[in-house]
Amino acid sequence: MSEIEARRLKAEEVGHEKLILNLGPQHPSTHGVLRVITTLEGERITEAEPDIGFLHRNFEKIVEGWTWSQVIPLTDRNDYLANINNEHAYVLAVEKLAGIEVPERAEYIRVIMSELNRIASHLLTFGTFAMDMGAFTPFLYGFRERELLYDIFEKVTGARMMHNYVRLSGVRNDLPDGWDKEVLEFLDRLENDVIPDYYDLLIKNPIFEARSLGVGVLTKEDAIAYGAAGPILRGSGIDWDLRRDMPYSIYDRFDFEVITREEGDHYARFMVRMDEMIESAKIIRQAFEQMPEGPVMGKVPRVLKPEGDIYSAVEGPRGEIGVYLVGDGNFKPYRVKWRAPSFSNLSILPLMAKGQFVADIVLTIGTLDPIFGEVDR
Amino acid sequence: MLGGVLGNVYNATKSLIKGHLVTLKELRTPKITVHYPDERLELPLGSRGMPALKVNQDTGLLNCTACGVCARECPVDAIEVEAVVGEKGRKKRYPAIYNLDMTHCMQCNLCVEACPFDALEMSDAFEISRYDLDDLIFDKEQLAEIWKTHKAVRITGGEKL
Amino acid sequence: MPEWVMAIIKILIVLAFIGLNGMFLIWAERKVAGFIQARIGPARVGRPQGFFQLFADAIKMFSKEDVRPAAADKWVWWFAPVVFFTPVAMAFLVLPFGPNVIGLDMNIGLIYLAAVASFALLGVFMAGWGSNNKYSLLGAMRAGAQMISYEIPLILATIGVIMITGTLSTQGIVEYQVAHGWNIKTQFLAFVVFFIAMLAELNRTPFDLVIAESELTSGFFTEYSGIRWGMFMFAEYTNIFVMSALAVTLFFGGWASPFGLVGSVLIFLIKTYAIVFLIIWIRWSVPRVRIDQLMTLGWKFLLPLSLFNIVFTGLILLI
Repeated sequence: MSEIEARRLKAEEVGHEKLILNLGPQHPSTHGVLRVITTLEGERITEAEPDIGFLHRNFEKIVEGWTWSQVIPLTDRNDYLANINNEHAYVLAVEKLAGIEVPERAEYIRVIMSELNRIASHLLTFGTFAMDMGAFTPFLYGFRERELLYDIFEKVTGARMMHNYVRLSGVRNDLPDGWDKEVLEFLDRLENDVIPDYYDLLIKNPIFEARSLGVGVLTKEDAIAYGAAGPILRGSGIDWDLRRDMPYSIYDRFDFEVITREEGDHYARFMVRMDEMIESAKIIRQAFEQMPEGPVMGKVPRVLKPEGDIYSAVEGPRGEIGVYLVGDGNFKPYRVKWRAPSFSNLSILPLMAKGQFVADIVLTIGTLDPIFGEVDR
Repeated sequence: MLGGVLGNVYNATKSLIKGHLVTLKELRTPKITVHYPDERLELPLGSRGMPALKVNQDTGLLNCTACGVCARECPVDAIEVEAVVGEKGRKKRYPAIYNLDMTHCMQCNLCVEACPFDALEMSDAFEISRYDLDDLIFDKEQLAEIWKTHKAVRITGGEKL
Repeated sequence: MPEWVMAIIKILIVLAFIGLNGMFLIWAERKVAGFIQARIGPARVGRPQGFFQLFADAIKMFSKEDVRPAAADKWVWWFAPVVFFTPVAMAFLVLPFGPNVIGLDMNIGLIYLAAVASFALLGVFMAGWGSNNKYSLLGAMRAGAQMISYEIPLILATIGVIMITGTLSTQGIVEYQVAHGWNIKTQFLAFVVFFIAMLAELNRTPFDLVIAESELTSGFFTEYSGIRWGMFMFAEYTNIFVMSALAVTLFFGGWASPFGLVGSVLIFLIKTYAIVFLIIWIRWSVPRVRIDQLMTLGWKFLLPLSLFNIVFTGLILLI
């Protein structure tokens, strides 16, 4: 049965009492190219069916033809708001597989960059969620802060978004002089000026509270059953963060809290993200204090032909970014499987959307925060 | 009950006014817009535009030896190198053809890292839009010209900027 | 001069004012939005402040292709912008711009305004239904629910003013305020209700569910382009002006000046544009409410409040 026939059958089944509304793929609030086929009864959604794949780039197959180090720039393009985290995930997996040593200083730089990228990503999520709610100004404030952060990134990595900075056995280049001061200034401004402004402008707004409190509740059981990750999982009250529970890199050296909220509604997920920014700032401050001097690149074997398979995961801004690698003793990977957190998070959408208003499904997509570079890969 | 409602209204009004004060404050803060062609931002050192071919300051010749490592390392096959073939079919150590296809290039710096002869650098040239796709394929003279006219930094891994 | 020539001149003046005011408000909104959002808004056409952007926009709107969806209901779709635009222009008849500057000083001015304003809903419905687009339809249905339920508190809020001033004539209300001071002093509650209902009536954030660009892309005028879209925009911005002018007339003394100066058109315009700025400011500061919250606010909060205000005003008048 072709897709068109299936749609026609569905339309007949729905009849005249209900309305099939196609949200996307060209729609202002679908965060990229998501298409959601919703069945409406009045303003209520009785059924929502996400349709993905509009941004499919064949990542996993393409990289089978590339050498181990050539893959790194492409991982940037998976979750394009958390580039360093993606690179980190991939590089960690290869390093584990091939047994490559990483210098101490490089580990600290990776952690700092990852956490900065988490802040950048959460700033944007703050903005897009506000825009889904119809408030355009917080969106641009979020963007402004993120742009300032990207200026800081550019000074180190040379690029604003597609950094290609993390390397096997280290990072591409050392931090420039005075850069740490700039980061700390930014963090101070973020904590003392920017986030309080966000609270005043949006979070304490009665309309915001009315729209998000108690809406789109995801229970603990459902969160686990659907394999939710990251802020969505923690917003439902499950205390799970790979940085603490399966420490990778040097995360066990830092003192930070894992933010959880019990309610499982839009507000909880949103606030988990807001608070995580502050925790990330904490980690960055500690990392700057502990950071030793030394080289930032170790030795990579000239012939890199690892064998065996490995799964390694990092905690990205949207949850567990998992990489499963199989090497068959060649200079190319035999198989790369990418576990994208957005993908499993998006799979909860039909469950959460059922019975919601049309206006709320937009918020639900906003709070699940799928990135389609990652969902469609 | 009435007290509760009035309290809610009071709180809501208070936080609404606070929110509006934030936007009012922003009315007066300096704007971050930069009128791009008229004003320009200073690019930081090491900002990656397109790769450029390094020219030896003394001899005025390219450093490139047409070894082809960059072309092999490029994930998207944007580089095409051919060495000069002299008499008796022996290759001489400079490029006859060095084409960089900017329609493919993603400015990832991998070619620069691979280059063993200090011949490639990332320049900060980012204004490379052209009316014709064919104009986006840069040959060796154009690449050398970009190196001469733009700030370029070479990072091969691990050094400080 | 024969009377009909005068009438035509007056109509032309009103239309010219609508055009200029609409363009100015669109420019002002973009500028204020820009400044609030840490950017500078239009700046290219007519430097430094991009004032000629509005002329460029108007020319663009006039010259764009008028695309009609194949499945649209042709005549309904065709007439919707006209039906939406006309009542807004008609409202200018009774707005008291100055001591003698008024189209027609009717003794039922406020009833005329209420009657005319409720007409606009028809245009919204026609646009939503005629476009044959699901987003438009949802937008129009929301508009129906919203505009009907907010018209009631809007009109009830004016009743307090009518009770105090004892007249329905807009000019009469202003003259009363010249003598007795502004109505806002005694009718603050009515102003609050009026202002909130006004925002909903104008489909402005936080009550812009009818347009709701994050859900319904552009609501009832999704399918319009070119000059038809322009008419919707102009009608909307003119409506903002009309409602603000009405608020000034009812609560802020119309053309009466606060410091004993001579009342004039200028003072009226300054007051009106101050309210317009307030509306724009609110739009760029708050998120949007949901349809059920909108209904709750309208029926459970504003309606009782406006009724209470009527009772309260009556008690004050008795004492």
